[in-house]
Amino acid sequence: MDLTTLFRAPPMDPLLKIVSGVPIFRECNRVELEALKLHLHERHFLAGEIVFDEGEEGEGMYVVIRGKLRANRKGRLGKKVLGVIQPGESFGEMALLGSGPRMATVVAEEDSTVLAMFRPELVALAQARPRLGFKIAMGVALVLELRLRRVAEGHSPEPSST
Amino acid sequence: MNAERTPERSLEHPIIWIAVIAGSLGSILLLKAVAWLAFPLILAVVLYYLVQPLLQRLQLAGVTPAQALGIFLGAAIILTLIFSLTLLPSMLSSLANFQDQIPTYWDRLQGVIRDNLLALEGRFAFAKNARLADSLQEQLNLFLAGAGKEYVADVALFLLHWLPSLLLVPFLTFFFLRDGTAFHRLVLRAVPNAFFEKTLLLFDRMDQQMRAYFRGMFGLTMLDTVSLGLGLWFLGHGAGIFGFWDAMALGLICAVFAWVPYIGSGLGGLLAVATVAVKAPQSSGLILAVVILFLGVRLLDEFLYTPITVGRALRMHPLITVMMIFSGGMLGGVYGLLLAMPLLGVFTVLGQMFAEIWFDPRLRARYHARGMLEKQLASKDLGI
Repeated sequence: MDLTTLFRAPPMDPLLKIVSGVPIFRECNRVELEALKLHLHERHFLAGEIVFDEGEEGEGMYVVIRGKLRANRKGRLGKKVLGVIQPGESFGEMALLGSGPRMATVVAEEDSTVLAMFRPELVALAQARPRLGFKIAMGVALVLELRLRRVAEGHSPEPSST
Repeated sequence: MNAERTPERSLEHPIIWIAVIAGSLGSILLLKAVAWLAFPLILAVVLYYLVQPLLQRLQLAGVTPAQALGIFLGAAIILTLIFSLTLLPSMLSSLANFQDQIPTYWDRLQGVIRDNLLALEGRFAFAKNARLADSLQEQLNLFLAGAGKEYVADVALFLLHWLPSLLLVPFLTFFFLRDGTAFHRLVLRAVPNAFFEKTLLLFDRMDQQMRAYFRGMFGLTMLDTVSLGLGLWFLGHGAGIFGFWDAMALGLICAVFAWVPYIGSGLGGLLAVATVAVKAPQSSGLILAVVILFLGVRLLDEFLYTPITVGRALRMHPLITVMMIFSGGMLGGVYGLLLAMPLLGVFTVLGQMFAEIWFDPRLRARYHARGMLEKQLASKDLGI
């Protein structure tokens, strides 16, 4: 028997592995990700199904685990496609800051699985674990800063700025 | 952005309000019918909301949720053991002494009431004609000879009936604390995608409502206990009626009685007045002072304590509050009185959220679209 296996941490949950790669949660350690896991809701969407709708009050953010989604926005000349969201990417982060209206409609392009994180649950988690709360808040700030820079430089924002 | 998205308008729909009131009253009837299960369940929910902040504090200190629960359970077991070994024997012997003194207390209370009624008869002719003192004495003798024994048997049966279900309370509380989050997630899995975010919001609002109510009630009980206890001690310690802890214990009993709206605080007041009347029968000034103390604490409770504790938790119109409490009392007795307000709070949130979902055509359209997609998929699979 290889005794070194006793001292090795068990492999990370595949879902958490994907979450750990999302910019907002990149600074979180394994224990914090395990705590976060309790507040992740797995949802399955069929191709063509709407995840959320432009203008509705946003209550949470999503991380794509499987499949492909498309973000659209209503424009003067009709629907404008903002982009495609792939596994490992997140969208709807703006809802973590407040229940303002969603900036775009996100539709599943193919059958997809996402992890949903709800703002009040994340706030409660951050209150119980301030260090984790700080890391998430910094992560959101970082993502928003990158998007502001892109807009300032004349690029369109990423599809996840919903 | 979307002109058709106006959930606020739907909140004022009269059907929703009728459904909220009917739901609250129906739940009172249902809970009364399964009282043996509902009672420990409600107590466990109350305990859950009281214990949860302690566990959160422990988590703030850096321990995991499971460790926090373990620490709390360990502390609770140790405290129970200490209580059983030190305080319980002396409390049981005090209780036995109190049991021996009940006939003396009863005689003195009767004496005080009879003396006061005789004084009334001496002053007013109508009281003399009604023979208030004698008829009360007859009624009390009749009660003791017949119904009193039946009531004692009923109370004994009631206790035998309730004790096993009360043993469920710590058991249920433990599982609420341990598996509450997992259960919450399990329930949410059943919610359609279109309504998922709104349902999460509903759960959160209900949780906030219950938390605010139970924590508020706890705070209110503490404030009432301290006010009444200090007041009773201040009034009674000079005459040797109350020691500090006796006054605090009586204050706590009266504050717990006050959980039953309107009736409970009156009963608590009567208990305190009866205690003073029995212990110092000649001191009518002191009895009057206790009555004034109770009225004062009631005013403080209504205008200061309740607004800063539970008042803001359930933002209800006073008329609806009173009507609900009395309707609850009529349908469910003490159960109804106790549960009317928290149930109304929960059903109000449910009604508001239902209205937000039901009257939002876009959410319903998304729900139906999912159904159509599933149908198309099934047809494609079957090749029809």
